[in-house]
Amino acid sequence: MTIAMFKITRAVRRGTVGVWLALLASGFAARSGAEQTGEKGSPAPTAIRTFHVQGNVHLLYGGSANVAVQIGDDGVVVVDTGDGPMSDKVLAAIRQLSTKDIRWVINTHHHPDHTGGNQTISQAGRTVNGNPAAIIAHEHVLTRMTEANRPITERPLNSFFEDNKDFYFNGEAIFIHHIPRAHTDGDSFVYFRGSDVLVAGDIFVTTTYPVIDAKSGGGVQGFIDGLNKMLEIAVPKRLQEGGTYVIPGHGRVGDEADLLTYRDMMVFVRDRVQAFIKKGMTLEQVKAAKPTLDYDPRYGNEKGPWTTAMFVEAVFRDLSQKK
Amino acid sequence: MKLVNRITQHTIVVLALTWTGTAHAQVNLAGEWAGRYHEDQLDRVPGDVLGDHSGLPINDAARRYAEAWDVSRVSVLEHQCQPYNVAHIYRGPLQFRIWEDKDPGTQEVIAYQIFIGTYMQYRTIWMDGRPHPPEVAPHTHMGFSTGKWNGDILTVTTTHIKKEFYRRSGTPSSDLTTMIEYYMRHGNLLSQVIIVTDPVYLSEPLIESQEFVLMERGNQNWLYNCEYAMEVPKSKNEVPHFLPGENPFLKDFANKYGLPFEAVWGGAETTYPEYQSKVEAMMSK
Amino acid sequence: MRIAELQDCRIAGRIAGRIVPILVVGLAFALAFDRARFDVAAQQPPAAQTPPRTARTNAPIDLIGTWVSVVTEDWRHRMTTARKGDFESLPLNPEGRRVANTWDLNADNAAGLQCKAFGVGGIMRQPGRVRISWQDDNTLKMEFDAGTQTRLLYFDRSKQSTGEKTWQGHSVAEWEGPSVGRRGAPAQAQFEIGGGSGTGPRPPGGGGEGLRGGPPPSSAIFQGGSLKVVTTNFRDGYLRKNGVPYSENASITEYFHRLPTHPNGDVWLHVVTTVEDSKYLQQPFYTSTHFKLEPAGAKWNPTPCRTAPPPR
Repeated sequence: MTIAMFKITRAVRRGTVGVWLALLASGFAARSGAEQTGEKGSPAPTAIRTFHVQGNVHLLYGGSANVAVQIGDDGVVVVDTGDGPMSDKVLAAIRQLSTKDIRWVINTHHHPDHTGGNQTISQAGRTVNGNPAAIIAHEHVLTRMTEANRPITERPLNSFFEDNKDFYFNGEAIFIHHIPRAHTDGDSFVYFRGSDVLVAGDIFVTTTYPVIDAKSGGGVQGFIDGLNKMLEIAVPKRLQEGGTYVIPGHGRVGDEADLLTYRDMMVFVRDRVQAFIKKGMTLEQVKAAKPTLDYDPRYGNEKGPWTTAMFVEAVFRDLSQKK
Repeated sequence: MKLVNRITQHTIVVLALTWTGTAHAQVNLAGEWAGRYHEDQLDRVPGDVLGDHSGLPINDAARRYAEAWDVSRVSVLEHQCQPYNVAHIYRGPLQFRIWEDKDPGTQEVIAYQIFIGTYMQYRTIWMDGRPHPPEVAPHTHMGFSTGKWNGDILTVTTTHIKKEFYRRSGTPSSDLTTMIEYYMRHGNLLSQVIIVTDPVYLSEPLIESQEFVLMERGNQNWLYNCEYAMEVPKSKNEVPHFLPGENPFLKDFANKYGLPFEAVWGGAETTYPEYQSKVEAMMSK
Repeated sequence: MRIAELQDCRIAGRIAGRIVPILVVGLAFALAFDRARFDVAAQQPPAAQTPPRTARTNAPIDLIGTWVSVVTEDWRHRMTTARKGDFESLPLNPEGRRVANTWDLNADNAAGLQCKAFGVGGIMRQPGRVRISWQDDNTLKMEFDAGTQTRLLYFDRSKQSTGEKTWQGHSVAEWEGPSVGRRGAPAQAQFEIGGGSGTGPRPPGGGGEGLRGGPPPSSAIFQGGSLKVVTTNFRDGYLRKNGVPYSENASITEYFHRLPTHPNGDVWLHVVTTVEDSKYLQQPFYTSTHFKLEPAGAKWNPTPCRTAPPPR
C-alpha cells in the first residue's frame, strides 16, 4: 500500500482513513453501547487486514478494535475479538494466518468492541478436550459481562482474580497482567515473552485520550500504573527504538518510546488538573485552562464518543474524589 | 570498401562504449559529508538558552508543550538515549556517509544507504519504487524513505517518523510528521532542503536547509553506545515538567538578545516579510 | 580490426581520414558531457531553419514569478538587526571581526550607505519579495522589493561590466544540469547504438540495441537543472545587517534551484550562496535561502534601503 501524499487540513488529520490512522474511540462502547468503526466523518472500515508484528504475533486491524493473534504449532491464541458484525471477517483473517485450532481467547477488558466477536471466535475454536476455545480474562470482566447480560458463550469463564496469570504456548511464555482501575476495573495486558510483544488493550491507544470508563471502575492513576508496568517490561532494541513492540487497543503498533509518550501525557494532565483542583478551580475553569492543549491536535476530539472535554471532566472527577 | 565501413562502424561502437551517456540525470551523492553551520550555529551545535522558537511555524499546542518542557526530563530512564529523528538530525552537528546499493545485474540503484555519525543512525532511501509500509507499522527515528530523481535533484519522501523535537529548546515534533527532502550537489557542496509537515504542531510546513562539504580526510564519527541508567532516583510517577505559567526559563532567549518575547515565540506569521514592521514596533516600545 | 592485414596504403589513408574526425568529435563530446552542457538534441538531425538558441529557450527550469522569502533560519539576524558584535555562525577572521566591531548604523546613514546591507552579498537574506522576469532572451532580471534593488543576470558573456562598482555588481549566469533540448521537452531517453534506424518494432533480444546500464531517466516533467550565477565588480557590503562585512574582492557564487513541486502545491525557490573572502573570512561562507512562489503582485511592496536599529 502506498502512503498517498495529501494536503494537510484539520479534517484530514482527524479523519481520512486512506492516509491517517483509523482513530477508534473505545470509550464509545462504554458510554453508549454502540460500536464505533471509524473516526468521525470517515467511512467505517470494511476490511480486516493483517500485519506481522514480531515473532509469532500478528495484528488484525481495520475493525472496531485491534485483534492480536499468536500462531504456532500448538494452535492459535487470540487477544480480543473485535465486535460482532466484523467477527466473521476476523475469523477469516485468522484462517489466512493459520489453519490450526484456536485454543485460547484472551480479553483485555469487557467492552463490546473488544469482546463482541467472542462467540464467533470461541465457537470456531477448540480446546484439546473438544470444547469451544476457552476465554480468559480477569474476573471483573466476567462480572461486567454478566451484569450486562451478555450471552454465556461470550463470557470469559476462565477468569482469574490474582494480579498475574501465565501459561506456555507455541514455544513461549504468555503473561497476563491485571491492572486495576485504568480503562476499567478489569483491564489486563498480555505479554508474549518469546515474540517480545505486548498487547495493551485500551490502557494504551494511539488514537485518542485515555478513555476512563469511571462507571466500570476506571481511573487516572490506573492508566499511569499500567503504562509504567508496561514500560518496565518493554526493552528497546537500540536507542529507544524497536525491541519490544506494543499492540494498542486502537491504532498503530508502537514500542517503548510510544508508551513513554502516552505515559508522559497522562502524568502531565494529571499534575495540571491536580494543581488546578488545589487552587479551587471549578470544572469549567479547569476546562477553560486547557490542561490538554499540547496534546489536543494529536489525541483530542471536539465531537464524537470521547471528546477532549469528556476526558478532562473524567480526570477532574477522578482526582476530586475523596480517597 | 566493406572493410572500411566495418572499421568505421566498430570505431563508433568503441567510442560509444566509452561514453557514459548524458541522458541520465542523477548526480553522484556517494561520499562522506560534513556539515557547515553558517546558519543558526548556536542552536544547532552547542545549543543556546531556552526559549528560542523563532522562525518556526508552530501552533499553540507546540507552544504549550515547549512551555512545559523541563530539560531535566532527559534524566528519565526511557528518555536518556533518545536520538534526534530524521527531521531534526540533519540540523547537526553531524557527519554522514552515503553509499549506493546497486542491482548487480542492471546496475540500477536500489537504495541509497546513509550512516549518520551522530547517534549512529542508519537510513535507507529506497529507489526501487516500493510502497511505504501500512499506517499501522511502527515508527522509527529515521522513518521509511523512498526517493526519485527529478533531473539532478533527488527527492525523498519519508513517513513513519518517531516523535521528537525541532529544537532542543523543547519545540516538539509529532509522530504524524512527514518529510520531503531535496538533495542537490554542486562540486563538493551538497545542499539539502527539508520540508516537514506536522499536522499536530505546525500550522504550515517547516522548510530548512543545510549545506555539507565532501570530506577529504574520511569520517571522524564519534561512537554512541548509550546505556541508560538510573542516576537520579525518581518514581515512575514523576516526569519533570513545568505547570502552565511556571516555567522560569521561558524568556531567556528573548531577554538575552533584547527581542520581544511574542516574536521569538514562533508562529507562521513571524516568518514572512510583513512581520518585520511588527517586530520593530514591538521593539520600539 | 586487423590493421596488420591491410596492404593497401590508400585504404589505410581512407580509414585514418574517417577515424581522426570521429575521435576529435568524440573527444569534444566527452568534454561537453563533463561540463554537463552537452545538448542531446544536437544529436538529432538539424531541423530546417531552427531559431538560434537563447537562454530563455534553453532554460531547464522556470524561475519566472514573484517569490516571497520564508524566514525559518537565522531569524533574528534577518527579521531584526542583531546587536553589534553578534557574529553567530560566521567564519570571520580577526580582520573581519575588527571591522564588524566598528559598525555604526548612524554613521552609515549619514554617509548615504543605507544600501550597504542590500548589496549582492546580503540582499538574498533580506526578508522580502523577489520578482524574476526576462529582460531579454539572454538576461534575467531580479527585482527585490526590500531596498528596491535590481539585479541583471547576463547569459551573454559578451556583456561586460561597465567598470563602475555597484551594490549588485555584474552577474554572469549559466544554466547547469541535465539538458532538456527544447524548453519543456524531456531529454532523449538513451543513446542507441549498433546501427538501426531506431524506428519500428524491436527484434527479440533487442538486436544489440538497448540500455547501457543504469536506471531509466526520470519520467517526471520536471527535469532538474539549476542556475549558476557568479558576480563580480561589486562594492563593499554587509553580509548581515549589523555590519558584518564582505569586501569588493570577494567571490560570490550562487545556485538557484526551483524545487520539484511539493505535494501540497507549494513551489519553492532555493538559493545557495557561497561567499569566499580572504580579507574577512576564514573559510567559504555558505547560506541557503528559501522563497515560496506566490501570486504575482499580490504583496509586492518596494521599500527604500533601511536597517532597523538593533536592540539596546
